[in-house]
Amino acid sequence: MTAITGIVSGVPIRRVAIDWSRPIFVLLTVVLSVLVVLPLGWLGYYAVTDQSGSLSLANFRALVSDATLRRPFIVAITMALSVGLLSCAIATPLAWIVARTDMPARTLVRGLVMASFVTPPFLGAIAWEILAAPNSGIINAVYRWLFDLDPYEYLVDIYTLSGLVFAIACYTFPYVFTLVTNALERVPTELEEASAILGGGLWTTLRKVTVPLVLPAMLAGSLIAVLQALTMFGSPAILALPANFHVITTKIWSLFQYPPKPGLAAAAALPLLLVTILLLWTQRRILGRRGYTTVGGKSGSARITVLGRWKWLALGFTFLVLSLTVLMPYAALVKTALTRTVAEPLTFESFTLHHIWFVFFEFSATQLALRNTFLLGFLTATIGTAIALVVAYLVTRGSSRGAPLLGYLATAPVAIPGIVLGVGLFLSYSSPILPLYGTLWILLIAFLTIEMPAGYQQLSSAFKSVHVELEEAGRILGATRMTTLRTITAPLLRSNVVAAWCFVFIGTIRELSATILLTTADTKLVSVIIYDLNESGDLGAISVLGIMLLMVSFAVVFLANRLPLLGGVRVAPVRG
Amino acid sequence: MSRRYRVWEDALAFLELADLTMRYGAMTVVDRVDLNVEKGNLVCLLGPSGCGKTTTLRLIAGFITPKGGEIHVGGRTISSAGWSEPPERRGMSMIFQSYALWPHMTVRENIGYGLSLRKMQSAEIVRLVDKILDVTRLKPLAERYPGELSGGQQQRVSLARALVVEPEILLLDEPLSNLDANLREEMRFEIRRLHDAYRYTTVYVTHDQAEAMTTADLIVVMNQGRIEQAGSPEEIYERPQSEFVARFLGGTNILKGRWLDADTVECGPLKLRCGTGDFSAGGDGVVSVRHHDIVLDAKPQGDGPNRAQGTVLRQVYLGSHRDYLIELPGGAQIRTVAEPHLAIDRGQPVWLHFPQEHCRALAR
Repeated sequence: MTAITGIVSGVPIRRVAIDWSRPIFVLLTVVLSVLVVLPLGWLGYYAVTDQSGSLSLANFRALVSDATLRRPFIVAITMALSVGLLSCAIATPLAWIVARTDMPARTLVRGLVMASFVTPPFLGAIAWEILAAPNSGIINAVYRWLFDLDPYEYLVDIYTLSGLVFAIACYTFPYVFTLVTNALERVPTELEEASAILGGGLWTTLRKVTVPLVLPAMLAGSLIAVLQALTMFGSPAILALPANFHVITTKIWSLFQYPPKPGLAAAAALPLLLVTILLLWTQRRILGRRGYTTVGGKSGSARITVLGRWKWLALGFTFLVLSLTVLMPYAALVKTALTRTVAEPLTFESFTLHHIWFVFFEFSATQLALRNTFLLGFLTATIGTAIALVVAYLVTRGSSRGAPLLGYLATAPVAIPGIVLGVGLFLSYSSPILPLYGTLWILLIAFLTIEMPAGYQQLSSAFKSVHVELEEAGRILGATRMTTLRTITAPLLRSNVVAAWCFVFIGTIRELSATILLTTADTKLVSVIIYDLNESGDLGAISVLGIMLLMVSFAVVFLANRLPLLGGVRVAPVRG
Repeated sequence: MSRRYRVWEDALAFLELADLTMRYGAMTVVDRVDLNVEKGNLVCLLGPSGCGKTTTLRLIAGFITPKGGEIHVGGRTISSAGWSEPPERRGMSMIFQSYALWPHMTVRENIGYGLSLRKMQSAEIVRLVDKILDVTRLKPLAERYPGELSGGQQQRVSLARALVVEPEILLLDEPLSNLDANLREEMRFEIRRLHDAYRYTTVYVTHDQAEAMTTADLIVVMNQGRIEQAGSPEEIYERPQSEFVARFLGGTNILKGRWLDADTVECGPLKLRCGTGDFSAGGDGVVSVRHHDIVLDAKPQGDGPNRAQGTVLRQVYLGSHRDYLIELPGGAQIRTVAEPHLAIDRGQPVWLHFPQEHCRALAR
């Protein structure tokens, strides 16, 4: 080559620079494997061995033959499917009204639906206990007072399977709502106009074009609702146990009560894990074919249906849904927090600050639980976001061949129900080798694992939204990889990082499913205190704690959106 | 073996690609490319999407490392198989297809970024940025954010940001493809004007032949990872060496037949005596004749080679000319243009003349 051109090839100067990506990559792989693979490994091991440690299928045999173990599965699946159906039935019309009609106050409706998203489901279940318990429930009390009935008459009973389905659906329907609203807004206007110009009326177009286009979103959202219901611990524990029936999660928990049967619990956790994986896989497949909801790209604003007189029907429906899911439960919590007993109406005489005083100054467990909860929230959010950030960077910008593996590891916990992870972690860290059970560390590990997928997905989509050419432009102008990260990537991602941090923080301070198996007297958290107080029937104190938890969550969301110091990337609005 | 294009035999190449190869898995994207670019020249890599031109540019920038071959700048190796100097040490700058303006920095901050990395005094940075803002007519927009600019303005910021650092080599990756037609034409001349003013050695990637013709000193036509032909715009247009190049630049008729003798190809009833091209091949022959080089008549104009009678299949009035599609007796279809006032209806016979000097025999 050089002979022809007459140019002597310069000897490449190889500067000795330490390539940090390799050790960081190995470290992260180890950390994520410990978080994900270790607990599942122990889970599998305990499921297929007996007390002496030899291989045995006795646990699975018990699972199939023992009716008290078999029944919770059937009940749970019935409950979860009903929740899915109910969520879809509530959310789809609401989504259409909000996304596609001229009903007033649509933004407010969105905000309130998001509020029910932020509400911890177990808190909602307690609120509905206050409202619809057969004896003390406010609704039943009002019913008796209105019709002057006997003290044992009641209108609604929340301690039933249908009551449980309702209470859970109140907090799972936002999943369907969000996905369907999104899909409705993204259906290109042209597709509907094409139907209209060919003679399709409002109903025909809705039935033949719009609904089929958003059907994947409806299905996917419903599946998430099913998944949430199936893996939820708090609401069933609060509403099903008093009614003397079990679902899978509560059954697994009961197997840890004295005398503990960890092997059986592990065996019972495995089918739940499999169902979860199956549901998620189905959901991915449905959404993976989403392509056709966005076909035809350039959609303007969505087609808005003018409601006219139907406006009142839409408003009525919306108000009913929001009353049941947000307004009434919140009102019940506030009332209970401020009155002496549940049954009294909130009046000038019955008003009391006793519960607030009790929770914050008398009840000894609160101080510790508050400290633990916020410490763990802060640590999980900070460490989790940091790990997710590096993993997302390595995967989206990675030249390393193993990078996708890290992505899978970080996403995998999404398929592990909290209670299953709780069992796995209990088995992993109660051994004498790593005695972390009873410390805050085991909770930190649990929360990091649970929140990793959410944090990772947020940040990796954020990295994908920062066009790689923005970084290359920095490199070619003379900035090293680190300088580019510091001056270009980091400022562009700042708001996403803050959002991910908040998301993880809020998720952590409300966690109960895994916590309930891993907590001890010294490591109580606010969510556990609420659960304990429910056992002792102290609804006033619960309401105070619950409202505080909600206020902290809303405050974090609000601060993240407002503070320019934290999240404010000064991106001016794009002008047409 | 690799083909080598030496356009300026005497000139010492400033940027040299030698046997450059890039593969992704089993797919070879850049296939043993050899290219020399003289200092101060603007070379255009032209080709359809997927021809390897952008990959070649990214290899030059150092964003990716070649699997084979080398890249030299001024005699210094900056890339070789499995090794490449990082982009930040190459003294280049680049204009991206997406412009890649940083949305969190103002126009002034975007442009000053490269200078501040060069450890300059801030007063000096302000002076240089002001100067380039003047040249690119962006002064009134200096404190705006990229999101507040139109596409054309963003394009100019991107140009200013790349030029202000006085790069050794300037790289442009389809810089005009996001602009509308009028603006695109204006920016073509703008890029050429700025190049004439600064004379940076420039590599420009495009799929638009008009863009290449306007801006380039040297056009390199690429196809399937290889260089099809390299030369000045006149050379590429007037003396294409392959069917691919002839078709890619300007409309042409490709006629296929067999060599009759030293300079004549027989295409069915039509015998074409060729004036230029590659006469070395025997057997199958390919001839290219540009649309506007064919003479069309309503009356017979004599017999002999390079003449044929045909039937009008379609004619369209386009203002400056009429566009005709003619069918020859063998079934071959010929596109040609005629004066706007020469209107011949569909189905009517016409007589075509293919002037010998415009019939170009192609090797491939």
